[in-house]
Amino acid sequence: MADDVAIICANRQCRVAETGRCIEGLELSKCPHYGRGPDEGVTDQSDEPESTVGLQLPGADTLTLEQASRVLRARNARVIAIIGPKGSGKTSLIASLYDLFQEGSVEGAEYARSETLHAFELACHDARAASRRSEPDMERTPLGEVRFYHLDLAGGPAGSRLALLMGDRAGEEYRSAADDVANLPPFPEIARADTITVLVDGQRLLDAGARHNLRSEIIMMLQAFLDGGVLRASQRLVVVLTKFDAIKTSPACDRAENDFRQLLVQLERAFGSTFSEIKSCVSAASPKNAVVPRGTGVGEMLTYWVAPAAFEPAERPTLTKPTRAFGRLSAADASEARDG
Amino acid sequence: MADRSVVIIGLPESGKTTFLGALWHLIIERDIHTVLRFHNLRSGDAAHLNAIAARWREARIQERTTIGGNKLVSMNLLDASGMAVRVTFPDVAGESYRRMWEERACDPEVAEVLRAGSVSLFIHADTIRPPQWVVDETELSRKLGLPTPQGEEVPWHPRMAPTQVQVVGLLQLLRESPLDVGPRRLAIMLSAWDKVSEEGLEPHAYLEAKLPLLGQYLRQAADGWTWRVYGLSAQGGEYDSTKEGVPPSAEAEALRNLDQPSKRIRLVQGGTETHDLTGPLAWLME
Repeated sequence: MADDVAIICANRQCRVAETGRCIEGLELSKCPHYGRGPDEGVTDQSDEPESTVGLQLPGADTLTLEQASRVLRARNARVIAIIGPKGSGKTSLIASLYDLFQEGSVEGAEYARSETLHAFELACHDARAASRRSEPDMERTPLGEVRFYHLDLAGGPAGSRLALLMGDRAGEEYRSAADDVANLPPFPEIARADTITVLVDGQRLLDAGARHNLRSEIIMMLQAFLDGGVLRASQRLVVVLTKFDAIKTSPACDRAENDFRQLLVQLERAFGSTFSEIKSCVSAASPKNAVVPRGTGVGEMLTYWVAPAAFEPAERPTLTKPTRAFGRLSAADASEARDG
Repeated sequence: MADRSVVIIGLPESGKTTFLGALWHLIIERDIHTVLRFHNLRSGDAAHLNAIAARWREARIQERTTIGGNKLVSMNLLDASGMAVRVTFPDVAGESYRRMWEERACDPEVAEVLRAGSVSLFIHADTIRPPQWVVDETELSRKLGLPTPQGEEVPWHPRMAPTQVQVVGLLQLLRESPLDVGPRRLAIMLSAWDKVSEEGLEPHAYLEAKLPLLGQYLRQAADGWTWRVYGLSAQGGEYDSTKEGVPPSAEAEALRNLDQPSKRIRLVQGGTETHDLTGPLAWLME
């Protein structure tokens, strides 16, 4: 046991040792409790009265796999896996969807509830004026296990009530999938996803040196998920060209749009029979200029996300059984963690 | 006698204590017809109510309720049918509600209070903080030919969330363990209504325009609230500051010159306006 290097936090409620995240949403270097033991400098009093600590209320950070499973079991839900290399605009997309509801309904769907309001607010922060940034930027997803943003919607395409669970995992973890398919992690958010959303970084597509690698990376990543048995045959694929504001103002605009179309043709050819359907859209979730409106394309993407889950395929390409909850997958994770 | 509780919640400075002061004045003055009427003083300690009602009559700003100063106040009233009813209100510091949103914690005694009765939610209509975005602000500066606003980058804190997000967060907490007691009635009080009434919107339309996320949350009823929205002007205008050296407010002087302080009170629901603050309470207790 390496107790001397164990991650600790003075806040008893903080699960930084398991999740790598500060419960208060702070950077670890800025958290006043991180790195200190509970009651440091105070004699341990296990019978401390509750009133000094206060009654703990439900948190509002992203959900763990187990918490997301509870939502899945409780009601009609859609799981969305969002896949894109680092910096491709994943957090920005999630944040801008939430932010659109700040001003009204989106494509007829309305906000009903969310268990992750703090997480959404944190994700939105760098695009909001309160951050005092001169240009919007976005928090990067830290490395670690998958976490979920939760949004209950109702009305319009969301029907009487529908929970959206949006998987959030560091892009690097998906990207490395293609390097070692034999040892692919379980990626429960992909295995259970109704819609797999692949982000194509518009900024990188504009870069003459990066554009071909970008397309290749996306194809290889999906191939790895297919060969590694993570995908199910009934899933929908949505390909999103992000940072459309950068494309719109670039001299290489036509070339980038053409590259995107070419990628869609390649994806259709390679995975047309794997997915129930392949859709595409462009987005400017958090534009850095006013050429396109904030949240462009995000509403269209939402209509794909809330579309009926295409269940029960005639034949499955993987060994995994479809399930309405993550329960079984959580157990698999746990056993893998034990074995590891 | 029937015992009823009404939970009064709201972020700091949303007008909760001013409401209680005006309500107590209205009840004991008995100069305006009200749905709920004064019965007797036998509910115990009226000192806090008397103090805040006195301050209200003087047209002086209420002192902020401090966390240590949480008070439980009771009024013995008669309902429209003449039945005696004791109504208990917590005068809990707004900081307690802020702590619930920010730190996800609350004192057990506050939790106990929050589990009792229907809910009256106070929102200061004139200090609603809307979400604002960098790109919109930058564009506005560009159009006006101003330099892009610069400043030291500020790390995120839950307190920065727009008003509507914090309020929805609070209401959601009341429908989750350990505070959940099932679906309840909710009266939303848009306080300082006199400051915003010139916009020409009735309270429901104002809520939809200024707090659209809250409007969606209530309409979609995932938490099952039965709700009404009121515009409330309990204060009547700008009061005298309690700070030393600050000159008296002209509006406060005009209010003091009214012969019937009860008539400072304005409560708007839909297109109707009354001085009777007990209407929403009677509805909450039905």
